[in-house]
Amino acid sequence: MDSKKGDLIVGIVTGIFGLVGLILAAGAQDIEIYIFGLSLVGFAALFIFGLVKRFYDEKDVAHGVDGQGGH
Amino acid sequence: MASSAATAMLDDGSVVNKVFYNEAIVRKFVIAAIIWAIIAFCLGTYLASELAFPQLNIAPYFNFGRLRPAHPTAAVFGFGGNVLFATSFYIVQRTSRARLFGGRAWADFVFWAYQLQVANMCISYLLGFSKSQEYAEGEWHLDLWLAVIWLSYMTIFIGTLTRRKEPHIYVANWFFIAYMSMILILHVGRNLCIPISPFRAKSYSLFSGVQDAMIQWWYGHNVVGFFLTAGFLGIMYYFIPKAAGRPVYSYRLSIVHFWSLTFLYVWVGAHHLHWTALPDWTQTLGMAFSIMLWMPSWGGMINGIMTLSGAWDKLRTDPGLRFSVTAVAFYGMSTFEGPLMAVRDVNALSHYTDWTVGHVHSGALGWVMLVSFGALYYLIPALWRKPGMYSTKLMEWHYWLAMTGIMFYIFAMWIAGITQGLMWRAYDSHGFLQYSFVESVAAMHPYYVVRAIGGGLIVTGALMMAYNAFRTITTSDESILWAGRRTAGALAAGE
Repeated sequence: MDSKKGDLIVGIVTGIFGLVGLILAAGAQDIEIYIFGLSLVGFAALFIFGLVKRFYDEKDVAHGVDGQGGH
Repeated sequence: MASSAATAMLDDGSVVNKVFYNEAIVRKFVIAAIIWAIIAFCLGTYLASELAFPQLNIAPYFNFGRLRPAHPTAAVFGFGGNVLFATSFYIVQRTSRARLFGGRAWADFVFWAYQLQVANMCISYLLGFSKSQEYAEGEWHLDLWLAVIWLSYMTIFIGTLTRRKEPHIYVANWFFIAYMSMILILHVGRNLCIPISPFRAKSYSLFSGVQDAMIQWWYGHNVVGFFLTAGFLGIMYYFIPKAAGRPVYSYRLSIVHFWSLTFLYVWVGAHHLHWTALPDWTQTLGMAFSIMLWMPSWGGMINGIMTLSGAWDKLRTDPGLRFSVTAVAFYGMSTFEGPLMAVRDVNALSHYTDWTVGHVHSGALGWVMLVSFGALYYLIPALWRKPGMYSTKLMEWHYWLAMTGIMFYIFAMWIAGITQGLMWRAYDSHGFLQYSFVESVAAMHPYYVVRAIGGGLIVTGALMMAYNAFRTITTSDESILWAGRRTAGALAAGE
């Protein structure tokens, strides 16, 4: 599988899991489902943020930006 | 994104294909394994202390009943699981000469989702949520999340195998495939249930009565058989030959080991239900297959230990290899003890006593923990490109602390268990029970104290390993070389 396409699919699927977590947390009738739902949302948000960051970091490296002085 | 392979020209002019393995994911799993090991050992030691000193039961979150399932979760799935993920991803890439299938993000997803899962399981039990099924206590939502992770993990592993550059699938990978596919079947089968609401963490099993018990021990024993045995045998078949610098003693025996173990193990769960409402023939079936398991288990043990042929001297200088080989000896011992306890008449004495707890831990600590440490001590310098571990002396200390801790633990539990069994079946001349149950509880106190001390030693050793790993990763190569020379000098001087 092409890696970039794979990363995109993983990102989208993780986003869907985050959405499911949000729905679970919103409708939770006990503390366990509430915590689980919120943890899925947090996980999805951080994971997708990590993917986006890595995408731009790799782009910077490819363009020779050293990370010290911005673009 | 870098390509997963590149060509390079050697000095003799030949061109080779260089594969860029995904080692970042293996490093993450290694670090997570060390962290979960410390959590699991601390939980276990605290639980052991609670049994010796009941005042330590702090309601509601740290009661024994809530804390207890968090300990095997952290140990089996946290520590053991992370070791299996790390080693399987490391081994499959090298033995296939292929980068992990699916790209970096998918492997990262498996890593972070799995850590979330183990943490959520522990939190769930402390909050009082449980299906009351041993090793499968997590409620339905946790089961679904684990199924997602496991399918991803299997797809990455098998996908990597399908694009291998080597024609042969090395035997370690066979064991990994058996462990992954069987765990998936077990996980789905055991956790078939109906939630009472999508917004409530409560469900009811599809099975009831003795069928539920049968499904439970089909699952429970095969978690031991495939997660804690087959998976770790994959580790044994790769890391012992690598560390010893010798080929596997008999490759043919390893194949026989694989097929006989995977065929026989799935039948033995019924031995957990001797003297219960389970039909007698089913109990006998479980007992007979348990006894047959002696053959593959001992065949595998012999294969692991005999791989050292011609390299026994390395046991003196390489504590990492010593961990692995001692683990194989424990594998032989605990797989002898298991079938023995599965004999119905032995089981009449051992069942419901601490002998069972001792047996489980001779396997979990003696086999799983030691072989994991052996693999971690091999992997840490290899993954961080260091000439060796920061301190061989700390590895030596770790080895002996772990060994002493295990001995304290299992001897205390053997004595405690047999004492309990004998006290419960003792009659006086009038046919009345000689001891009340509470007398057998009181008689356990010294053994429980010894067990807690054993746990403390294991925690201390694990902390040493964590420090040693941290220094190995953060210290320059030169310092490690100097530390290695100092240790070698001390060994030569007989210190």
